[in-house]
This record gives sequence, C-alpha cells and structure tokens, in this order.
Amino acid sequence: MTTATAPAVDSVEKPGARERAKRPGTGVGRPGFAWAAPAAVFFGLFALVPLALVVVLSFTRWNGLGSPEFAGLENWSKLLDDPVMVKSLWLSLLLTVLGVLVQTPISILLGVWAAGHQRNRAVLSAIYFVPLLLSITAVSVLWRAVLDPNFGVPSQAKWLFGDGNLFGVQASALGVLVFVSTWQFTPLHTLLYQGAARAIPQVLYQAAQIDGAGRYRQFFHITLPQLRNTIITSTILMVVGGLTTFDTVLILTQGGPGTDTTNSAYYMYQKAFKSFDFGMASAIALLLVLVASLVSLVMVRLSGYDKMRSTMEGV
Amino acid sequence: MALSLAACGGSAASSDGGSDTIHVLVYGDATNKVEKQLVDTFNKTSKVKAVLDTIPGADYQSKLQTVISGKQAPDLFFNWGGGSIKPYVDAGLLMPLDDFIAKNPDLKSNFLPSVFNTAVVDGKPYGVPMRGTQPVLLFSNKKALQKAGVTAPRTWAELLTTVKTLKAKGVTPIALGGGDKWPTQMWFQYIYDRVAGPELFQKAVDGDKQVWASEDSKKALGMLKELIDAGAFGTNYDSVKFTDGGSPALLATGKAAFELMGSWEYSTLQDAYPDFVKSDLGYGTFPTVEGGKGDPDNLAGNTNNFYSVLKSTEHPEAVAEFLKLMYSDQFVKDQLSIGNLPTTTNTPKFLDGSANPAYSTFQYDLVKKAPAFQLSWDQAFPPAATTTLHQAIQQFFNGQMGTDAFIAAMQNLPAA
Repeated sequence: MTTATAPAVDSVEKPGARERAKRPGTGVGRPGFAWAAPAAVFFGLFALVPLALVVVLSFTRWNGLGSPEFAGLENWSKLLDDPVMVKSLWLSLLLTVLGVLVQTPISILLGVWAAGHQRNRAVLSAIYFVPLLLSITAVSVLWRAVLDPNFGVPSQAKWLFGDGNLFGVQASALGVLVFVSTWQFTPLHTLLYQGAARAIPQVLYQAAQIDGAGRYRQFFHITLPQLRNTIITSTILMVVGGLTTFDTVLILTQGGPGTDTTNSAYYMYQKAFKSFDFGMASAIALLLVLVASLVSLVMVRLSGYDKMRSTMEGV
Repeated sequence: MALSLAACGGSAASSDGGSDTIHVLVYGDATNKVEKQLVDTFNKTSKVKAVLDTIPGADYQSKLQTVISGKQAPDLFFNWGGGSIKPYVDAGLLMPLDDFIAKNPDLKSNFLPSVFNTAVVDGKPYGVPMRGTQPVLLFSNKKALQKAGVTAPRTWAELLTTVKTLKAKGVTPIALGGGDKWPTQMWFQYIYDRVAGPELFQKAVDGDKQVWASEDSKKALGMLKELIDAGAFGTNYDSVKFTDGGSPALLATGKAAFELMGSWEYSTLQDAYPDFVKSDLGYGTFPTVEGGKGDPDNLAGNTNNFYSVLKSTEHPEAVAEFLKLMYSDQFVKDQLSIGNLPTTTNTPKFLDGSANPAYSTFQYDLVKKAPAFQLSWDQAFPPAATTTLHQAIQQFFNGQMGTDAFIAAMQNLPAA
C-alpha cells in the first residue's frame, strides 16, 4: 500500500511537480506490487502450489493410502507407451477443433443479429440465453434422456438416427458431445459477439452504404474484420474449455464406447478416482497442461494477439 | 497434500480422538433408514455412541479412499468385500476379525458361509455382512414370451433358439444397459462360471494370467460371441443404461423379453411399473451349459455388503457390540420390510413378513444351496483394474476386440 501512494506524495513536494501534474496520467504513479499481492497470493496458493505438488506426485506411486513412494520416471515412460493416452490427446484436440468450427460461425451470426434493432430481438435473445443459465451437468443428463434410442427422439426419427445407437459408435458419440457443448456454450459467445458488434462505429456502415455495398459485403468487409479481436478472445475461451472438456464426457459417454471418447481430462479422472493411481493421473494432468500451454502459445503468436492491434485504426 | 485431502473429506466424518463415539460410514441410499434405526437401537444401551455418516452412492468409493488413511477415518465402514477392501488390508488399515469371532463365534456362524467368505482376504475374515444379498437373475416379461410362444430357457441351447424366435417376431430378445458397462459384465461372470467353474476366475484374481488363454476361457468367449452375433441384445445396447431406467423400461414395456440383472431389478421395477411386476414379471436362474464344469446352482452378483473395522478404532468393544446387531431379529425384519434379503441363518423365520415372500424365499433358497457365489468381477479385482476391465468388456461386445485381444487385455489387468 505504501509503495503505491508514495509517488503521489513526492510529486507534491518536489519543485516542478505542478507542471508535470498538468499532463494527464503523469501524476499517478505506476501501481506497486502490493496491489497485485492478494491476487498473487491466491494464484500461488491455489494454482502454483498444487501444480508443484502435481509435478512431485507424477514421479511417485500413490493410491491415496499411506505416503507416496518415489517411482522415478515410471509413470512417464508408461504414459508415453500408453496407446490410450496418445488417443486421448488426439480426441481432446479433435473435440476442441470441432467445437471451435461449429460454435464460432453460429455465435458470430447470432451475435451480429442480436446486436441489431429488429422487433422481438430482445425477447428472442433472452430465450436464447437460457441454456447458459443451466448447469452443464443438468444439461447433459437432459440430453442423455432425450437421445435414448428406445424412448427418446431417435425412436421417433429412424430415418435420421437409424437404430439410435448414438452412444455406441465413436463418430456419433463425439457428435453428441460437440452438439451438447454447442447448445450450452454458444449463448456465451453470442453475448461476446453481440457486445463487439454493437461497438462497431455506425459511420463505417454509413460510408459503405454510400459506396453501394450491400448487406453481405458490409458483413464480410466491415463486421468480420471489426470483430477480429473478439474472434480471437472467443476462440481462446473455446480452446481452453475444449481441451478440458470433462462434465459432458462423464455424464454422456463415460469415455465410451471402449475408449473412443476418452479425452485426456476424463482419462486423468479415471486414473485418479476410479483406478486410484494418483501418480499416473498427475502425469496426465501435467501433459495436458503442457499441451494446452503449447496450443495457446501458438495461437497467441499466430493471431498477433500479443500485439493487440487496434481495429480502430484509421477510423 | 494432506491439507487438501482433509478439506475434501470435510462432511464425511468428524471423529476426533478421545471422544466417546464410533463413526459408521455407509453408502448413501434407501437402506440408510434401516441403518439409522439400528444406530438408534445401539445408542439406547451403549455408553459409546454410534454416529452414522452417509456418502451419496456414486462418490462412495472415491471419498472412502481419501478419508480412510487420515484423521477422519471412520471406525467401521460399508464395502463389497473382496478386491474392494484388499488395498486397505495391504496398507495395514483393517483389523482382522479373528479376535471378535473367538470371543463371539455367532459373528461368523450366524451367516451363510458362501456370503461370509467374500470378505475373507488372505485367509482372514475382514467383514460382517450388513445388508441384503444381490444375486444376478434372469428376469423376463411373461407376456412378451407368451406372445412369441416361447418359455424361459433352462439351457444355453434353449436360450439361443429362444433368442432367434424372439428376434424373428421383432422383439429385442435381451435388454442390456451397455452404457453402464457392469450389466454387460454380468454375462461374462455367468458364462465363465458355467463353462469353467469358479476356479478359473479365482486363479485369475490371484494373479495366474495363463487361465485367460485356456480352452475353457476361449470356449466361454466363443459362446458369448455366438449369442451377440445372433442379435440377442439388439444393436443399440451401448446407448442404453440401466441407471437411468432405460433397460428396465425395455423389459417392462415388452420391447425386450429378458434382462440379466441383480436382484434389485425387482424393487426398481416395483417403483416404476407396479402393474407389470404384479402380473407379468418372471424371474429365474441363469441357463445351464451342457458339459460345463461349473455347478448349475452357482450364483454371481454381489454376495452382500460388509462392515469392516479399522485398526485405529479406539473402541473395539463397542464396535464388536454394534456388529452383533447385524444378525438380530430387528435387523432381519427391518431389512426384509424394505425389500432387502439378509443372509443370516435366522432369516427364514421372517421371510413371510417380507415385501414379497415368494421372491424372497426363492432368492434365499438359491443363495443357501449355492456351492459358489461369484462376486462381481469389478469388485473382486482391485479398483485399479476396473476401468480397463469395463472397457475390454464393452469392446468385446461391440466387436472392437476379438477373442485374442480380450484375452490379452485380461492378462494385463493388475492382479490383487
């Protein structure tokens, strides 16, 4: 606290301070570390310390009883030879990519639409946001019942679902996972796009209209480029959520059939809380952290998000 | 780590050293009301008071594992015997009940032996039966059978013909909640027992990996494959669950004719389809296999649930007194009244007072005369094996794993 207020006091005492204070912003000192302390302590206690413990655990054998036994690289070498682990990483990436590809276009279109001034827009938007208010667990239980092959929708629409074995075949089981996540999370991203679309200056559209640009050209040449930073933000949220997808897998497919929908997060849970192999589970967790960091690093680099170019240049 | 684990287990138990209480940890479900009554009965006369702690079913095993070696460990707890307590025995956490039994032989002799033996680990008893027995039976929809002109099969050959007839009539022969995986496992348990006898699986649990590649093992898998390929389970069983009511509904509505399920199927159906249970629900034993080594009277399922005692308990005398209640008249009557079937020797006296006397008597006689009672595979193996076991079972059924791949998967399971 004292470090934060000190520069302000100084600026009054020192000669020439008045001149400096006139320029906006210069009188306020750079916030000291103390301001970050509460957040840093929280982050340290609930993220860094557990992470360090997980690193330690990943080199041990521990079933939760007694004390962990040091096992050297055993977990890691087993993990790298484990076909289910490799498969689970691919499934995590696949679920993430599919999630982004399906959710992004829907969210952008809905968001841009919801930013407009049509009649009924507010009412329809409000209804559309309802899934966001439901817990993902409840949503998963609900869809499991709706998709029951004998008593749910598939039994009434055989032309579409065949024998209704949605959860017994990999492709359709993955499809259900992507669909349910989309149903649940599209409203959140729609909200982001709605806000961003509202912030686009009207003058751009007016100028385009004068130049004779139609609705489609306006959308592709003004709206989309203006939403650039939001697309990146939203995609990063989707990627982080996608890589750690767990609740839907737990309730809808339990990783099945076989291991066909066992993504890394669910595999970690199985190892820890079904097989009580906490050492192995910690190694999986770390691998997931590494992969997720790598993916977000690549994304930040490729998108130029780190430089945060303004979309307002030239306006 | 200890700190975070302790925080996780906060609500489970709060036993503090030196107090005059014993903590009883049980699986949270409908049977808790009987357990509550027993604790009340116990507390009326005992100076050391019992406290009942419940953990909701799905989380029970995970939570138990995190509290059992810490300060919040209960004094005695619910389990399934077999592999479910083996890790705790190995970690030196449990008290062998030899001393209790030496002082009070009733603690062993008042229970059916095939049931009591499930909780014997490394030759020592570690558990006292504390709920009802749950053998797996073949349930049927009598009306659906009648319509198709078939009867419940007594042999495997009859089962295959029945399946073909039912399929031709457009009925799914057998309902299966494959999404839960353990219902699928029940078919393996019985066919292996019928073909090879209980010894094969016992050897496998004890670490003999060769038995999986034996002729008997291959024969059992071949027969199962034949049944699957005949369309006995339809095509979408992996999308159906027992736990959300899917497969019982198939049976009750006559869309399927049979379901192989634990004895709890009765109360599940009673809740959801009372009219069906009254008029059309049939039940019987698993078909016999000609030339099989297993006794046709053998059963599979959950023999019972057990109370095991922690070494760390400060009141062993009070615990021993509490365990005596598990064969009391009150216990038997209360369990029967809610549809559970206790496995004490005094149970037959009270069978007339059960929710369904005919069904209870049928089950009790089965359990009493069964030479062997195969504990569910996923409970007989230690928890470390469960996931792999379930996956392999599902993949054998849906064709992703052939016979050889399945055998290899079984050989890679961690032994007890």
